[in-house]
Amino acid sequence: MAQEYLLLDIILWFSIYLIVALSLNIEYGYAGIPNFGRALAVLIGAIAVGGVVNRILIVLLGIEGGGLIETSGTLKSTVNAMIAQNPLLGLGILVLCLLIAALMGAVTGALFILPSAKLRQDYLAITLLAISEVLFLVSNYNTSIIGGYYGVSIPDVLAFVPGEKRFLAFALLGVGIALLVYLFVERLLTSPYGRLLKAMRENEDVVKAFGKNILVLRIKTVALGSAIAALAGAFYSLYSVNVIASTFFRVDWTFFPFLMLLLGGMGNNRGVALGVFSFVIVKVLLIVYKFEIKSTLHLPFEATWLEYILFGVLMLLILYYKPDGLIKEKPVTMTPPIKHALKQKAKETPGR
Amino acid sequence: MAVLEGAVVYSNLLVLLAIGLTITYITTGVPNFAQGSMAIFGSFVSLSLWLLFNIHPYYSLPVSFILGGGLGIAIYILVLKPMIKKEAMVVTLMIATLAVDLILLGVLGAYSDTLAELTGKGTKKFIFTPLDFKLAGLDAILVVSSAVIVFILFALFLLLYKTKFGIALRASMENPALAEIMGVNVEHTRLFSWFLSGSLAAVAGSLLPFRQEIVPATGAIIIVSIFAASIVGGLGSIYGALAGGYIIGMSESLITFYLSKAVGPSVLLYSKVVSLLVLIIALIVSPKGIAGLEIWRKRTWRRSTSS
Repeated sequence: MAQEYLLLDIILWFSIYLIVALSLNIEYGYAGIPNFGRALAVLIGAIAVGGVVNRILIVLLGIEGGGLIETSGTLKSTVNAMIAQNPLLGLGILVLCLLIAALMGAVTGALFILPSAKLRQDYLAITLLAISEVLFLVSNYNTSIIGGYYGVSIPDVLAFVPGEKRFLAFALLGVGIALLVYLFVERLLTSPYGRLLKAMRENEDVVKAFGKNILVLRIKTVALGSAIAALAGAFYSLYSVNVIASTFFRVDWTFFPFLMLLLGGMGNNRGVALGVFSFVIVKVLLIVYKFEIKSTLHLPFEATWLEYILFGVLMLLILYYKPDGLIKEKPVTMTPPIKHALKQKAKETPGR
Repeated sequence: MAVLEGAVVYSNLLVLLAIGLTITYITTGVPNFAQGSMAIFGSFVSLSLWLLFNIHPYYSLPVSFILGGGLGIAIYILVLKPMIKKEAMVVTLMIATLAVDLILLGVLGAYSDTLAELTGKGTKKFIFTPLDFKLAGLDAILVVSSAVIVFILFALFLLLYKTKFGIALRASMENPALAEIMGVNVEHTRLFSWFLSGSLAAVAGSLLPFRQEIVPATGAIIIVSIFAASIVGGLGSIYGALAGGYIIGMSESLITFYLSKAVGPSVLLYSKVVSLLVLIIALIVSPKGIAGLEIWRKRTWRRSTSS
């Protein structure tokens, strides 16, 4: 049982982090935009669930009594009972949550990247980090958005699944969403759009010379990336059936995705998946054996601190020894017309 | 009056941190995301000396200065220098300082727990305000932090403008390639800048607990204000950092205070929103910061050498 639990935990975290890492791969791996504020989009996904969908349901069901935190508690038990009777309602809420999260993520992302119109890479990274950090602080302290550090309850969209199968159901759901995102991103990035992003990363002036508007391209890209990252935030909230603002800390949702991306190899999705997988295994094992590590090593402190040190050092080692990651980015495969033209040329000049 | 005093103290500390950030940015070209945690390192140095040896935080400033400088040098030599040698991109170096920040957070957190166990006192959160006293009718922290600023600026002025090393230093900040041709060892200036950055951060960190509660993660919160101060100052000149520190520190404390009088105490939580807004306004009005045009020259140099 314990091992099954461990496996499901790994699958679940793999799905959540894969979605976030893929979104970062679009923005940083392909387009070269140093989005040091990734955590913001994930937080927006959680706000979409805890702050927006919860409020919609509260109004629809006419639940009264106190602020968001109290009414969400009532909402949860009411809606859970309804979902247990009617699975379709649960799936409907799930889809609604994901749609609103993606929409809000896209809008936030588009606004969030506007400073890039005037800023160079390093200034941009600082500004994005600052915006993300400040909005994190606001939603943490202001309990009227998503309950702040107290958190709000969320209805269990899979309440119709019997208790012992709930974890399995969520793991499968997570894998499903992550797989869809993976296929979508893979397809998107092998399109001309993906090559355009790589071109922008390598040399913005060339892209400009071909008549493309860099800012519009950036806005599109970050809106897309943020929409995808918001999906992860929404799914995570639905799974944990509550939203607590303090869980959207910069380390977990900006630094770790960067670590996974660089570990696996930027600019290629297979590498990213491998990076996420390796990271999640280490991370889950560290969480599960937290107390064993603390007691066997006789640590006088929490194992979380050790985790931070370990992942920080790992990041430095990757940056120094393996900046290309586990799987190196392949050069852009030639497009069919070019391949065709090359073949033609080879036929015409057989002598060479 | 008390509000203004608090604002001045906070601005003084912010100036120290912004100068540190700016000087490493000038010499190394990397915005250091670990600056906040380097300050908290100083806070813990003072806390340890107070808890273990009963040394008042004001007397531990020299120790913080030296240990903080050591930390700065260690970060440069162990992390950044090898990567710069491999011609890493600026973003890579930035991610490296984020990693350093995380390592420092882990070390400080682990140390904080250990210290709590050793002394039997809860050190998860700490504040030095009970240790403060009155000096000529003013809070001692106001006098001390202002004295530190005056002393550091004076020493920096002497060093930069009155010594040969200072000339070499300024030359290699202005144009490292040319300075190197003229026989200046640019490596020395980088080492010095990291020492200074670390030591100023640690001194600011030692004084910070007189104004606010410290936890290991405080560094992640104050980094927003530090960057805001440095960017308002233009990230390219020490005077800019000086002005930026006071602009951000004053507006953060005073604007939120007067807003809270008008709107209610809930606004007090949004002090960082003020620094973010000032940062964004500054970037829109003048992306080059107060220090103006000089940085554009450096930008073109960096681009040509990094590619």
